[in-house]
Amino acid sequence: MEREEKEHSDILQKDTTRRGFLKGAAVAAGGAVALATVGVMKPVTAKAAESAKPAKIIRHLFVERQNCTGCRGCEFACSLFHEGVVRPEAARVHVNKYKGIVDVPVICWHCEDAPCIEACPVEPKAIYKDEKTNGILINKDTCLGAKCSKCLEACPAQFLRLHPDTGLPLTCDLCGGDPECVKACLAQSGNPQGPCIMGDKLGFGVNLAYRDVTPEEAAEDLMNNFFYPNETGERGER
Amino acid sequence: MATTRGGNFGKVLEIDLSKKTFKTRTVPDEIYQQFLGGAGMGDYFLLKEYKAHQDPLAENSFLYLGAGPLNGTYCPSTRMSVVNMSPYTKRLSHAEVGAHIGPEIKWAGWDGIYIRGKSKKPVWLYIRNDKVEFRDASKLWGKDTATTEDMIAEELKDPRIRVACIGPAGENEVPYSCLIVERFRAAARTSTGALMGNKKLKAVAIKGTGYVPAVDNDRFLKAAKGAKQYAVDHEGWQGIKRWGTAGLLELKNWGTGSLVTKNYQTTWFPDISYIGAEEASRRFWKRHVACTHCPVHCQKLGVIRGGKYSGLIAEGPEYETGGLLGSNVGVSEFDGMMAAIELCDALGLDAISTGGCIAFAMECVEKGVLSKADLDGIDLEWGNADAVVEMVKKIAYKNGKAGKLLSKGVLAMSQEIGQGSEKWAVQTKGKEMAAHDPRGDKPRAVSYAMGQCGGDHHESNSPAGQAKRCLHNSLVTCSFVGGYWSLDMFTDMLNPLCGWSITEDDLMKTGQRIRTLERCFDVREGISRKDDVLPYRMTNESLPEGPKKGAIFTSADTKKMQEDYYAYFGWDNDGVPTDTTLKNLSLDYLIDDIKAARKNL
Repeated sequence: MEREEKEHSDILQKDTTRRGFLKGAAVAAGGAVALATVGVMKPVTAKAAESAKPAKIIRHLFVERQNCTGCRGCEFACSLFHEGVVRPEAARVHVNKYKGIVDVPVICWHCEDAPCIEACPVEPKAIYKDEKTNGILINKDTCLGAKCSKCLEACPAQFLRLHPDTGLPLTCDLCGGDPECVKACLAQSGNPQGPCIMGDKLGFGVNLAYRDVTPEEAAEDLMNNFFYPNETGERGER
Repeated sequence: MATTRGGNFGKVLEIDLSKKTFKTRTVPDEIYQQFLGGAGMGDYFLLKEYKAHQDPLAENSFLYLGAGPLNGTYCPSTRMSVVNMSPYTKRLSHAEVGAHIGPEIKWAGWDGIYIRGKSKKPVWLYIRNDKVEFRDASKLWGKDTATTEDMIAEELKDPRIRVACIGPAGENEVPYSCLIVERFRAAARTSTGALMGNKKLKAVAIKGTGYVPAVDNDRFLKAAKGAKQYAVDHEGWQGIKRWGTAGLLELKNWGTGSLVTKNYQTTWFPDISYIGAEEASRRFWKRHVACTHCPVHCQKLGVIRGGKYSGLIAEGPEYETGGLLGSNVGVSEFDGMMAAIELCDALGLDAISTGGCIAFAMECVEKGVLSKADLDGIDLEWGNADAVVEMVKKIAYKNGKAGKLLSKGVLAMSQEIGQGSEKWAVQTKGKEMAAHDPRGDKPRAVSYAMGQCGGDHHESNSPAGQAKRCLHNSLVTCSFVGGYWSLDMFTDMLNPLCGWSITEDDLMKTGQRIRTLERCFDVREGISRKDDVLPYRMTNESLPEGPKKGAIFTSADTKKMQEDYYAYFGWDNDGVPTDTTLKNLSLDYLIDDIKAARKNL
């Protein structure tokens, strides 16, 4: 915990973009998942992007949904690492598109309480957490797959999907501590808003507030905060 | 005939709307080596199956949604190619469109989707891997493109479905209606909307769960990763990342002197500050949006934050949409321009042709050959944004006298109106010109006058560039991202992916082959040197003001442009491919056709 706090203060001092972001995140933690700091598009220099890259094992993921450009670089990197080919439907992390307007990246939050593991009816659990890396793994031999799907239903972020061929849940193992999606998102980001998928928790309970929304709700939220900032808050007529 | 080994599946999904059946058409690897895929493959099918003077709306007419070998692989920024014979210009046309639908075709296990026949009732297609469902579209018929996509995503309960659909303009068979992909992306210049409307095909929704195999995956990945890193680093893309293509609006006005203004009368529009990228960035844009695996994210989404159109979400302005529905109609009111652009997307209209037609009508009003009474009382004067918005609606529904007139397109309008209006009818080969004035930007004339589509901004500015653009369109890579890649980057990706051993020269030859094939189709339809010209205004009126004041495209310029072009591609002085050229490009089977067509030129 102490180590984590130190990291965060490091980030705060290093990088102004981060600070702006954390302010927004604090609002989110305060109650509704408000994504208020979206108005300004500021280019992020390569240096600033690099300073966000942690050197050691990453035990959590974080996603700043408002930064997503919907390029799906994360899906490409994820499926390439785990499947050996580019296959977005078998990628763990995935990006949904709603109304053709907002993109919602869906990640595993590696919850402390792990409702997916809780829900697994098999003993010993067919879905379990790797103590060392904090990644979620599947026991291919005992998992019941599509006919069970209890973990899919339990996931508060609706992250889990089934592999199109094997029918087993696609879980995030954090690539053993160096997630490909985080690297891909950084690499992809000439993105003026900065990367969207980032390594490790950012504290203040933000992760929980971000986690407990379904992709639909996240999309709704992004829509409201991105696109309806008018006095009336209403959508215009054509 | 060999089968494909990687990159391509060698399979095209062939759908018949009349019989409601589908089957697999196998395509041998040799054909892929000759035409690559995407536009090239569609061109090949068109030329093989259509006789000269085919009716583009006949029962056996088809449209081809094509992907290329690089789609769905690690290669960044791949698109979809739409090929059909345009019911508007009666010529072969193809358009490339972004978003995520191109790779999805490949992940579904196909190299392309070929749709022929006509349905009696409105129908939409749900393609999931190797399954095709013909679904009832009676509830979707009449809905705009945004609603259609929402309803389809709702029906399938899938936020990752990729939809290409037509709007009311396509249903009403407006000649320049287009195919809209994922709400804001348009395959606009092919009149595919009218063709699909005629086929009663409202939408195509695609979902694939597979992947594209590579012959030598490691080598391919190394090359593709290099190509992507190039796209991330190259400074040529930095402006587009930040400003989209809208940044060109200011550049072309203040710098190049080629921003079309008031129906191409001038290129000087100081009010650009009110509708350009800076203004959009300040008061409108909210999101950068990327196509599949693209680090450039040139699409900008925004919302209007007050006033009459408060809350309207729209995409743009892009250079073309902002130029044609902004400066070309003299509009300097940002919200009004965005409303018109959004309407074009929602109703499924080609914003370039729409802007061109409205600007033409405005000049007719200015010159006194059209009156308010001819236009249902709409006050079409320069800069009247409300009138433009009203007119876009009328065009899409062919509503009233004005809608019926303007939906015919500039060429037909000028023929109907007469009274010297052909002098300001700005079109080439029957299609309205895009937003770069070739007097200020002379190389652009090659794209307009010599390019396949006619009036098209997307065909590159030199003969060799056009051959290379044919490659982009057939591999279906983006011309922004792929535009900066060298040929060896393409061969480095293609060879390990498809198991080929082609050289850079082979690739260039392929580009020339595809362009010549397209030309053969045109020659059969009676196109020759006389059609490879710019409109009257470009060659007879000089620019009255702006950075390129006094510039004009002279007949000497035209002659040189044509001769350079024909010489590069090995066509004769009439612009007809010679027998030797056809033999060199292994297009021998066209020699007789061309010989017959030459007599009728």
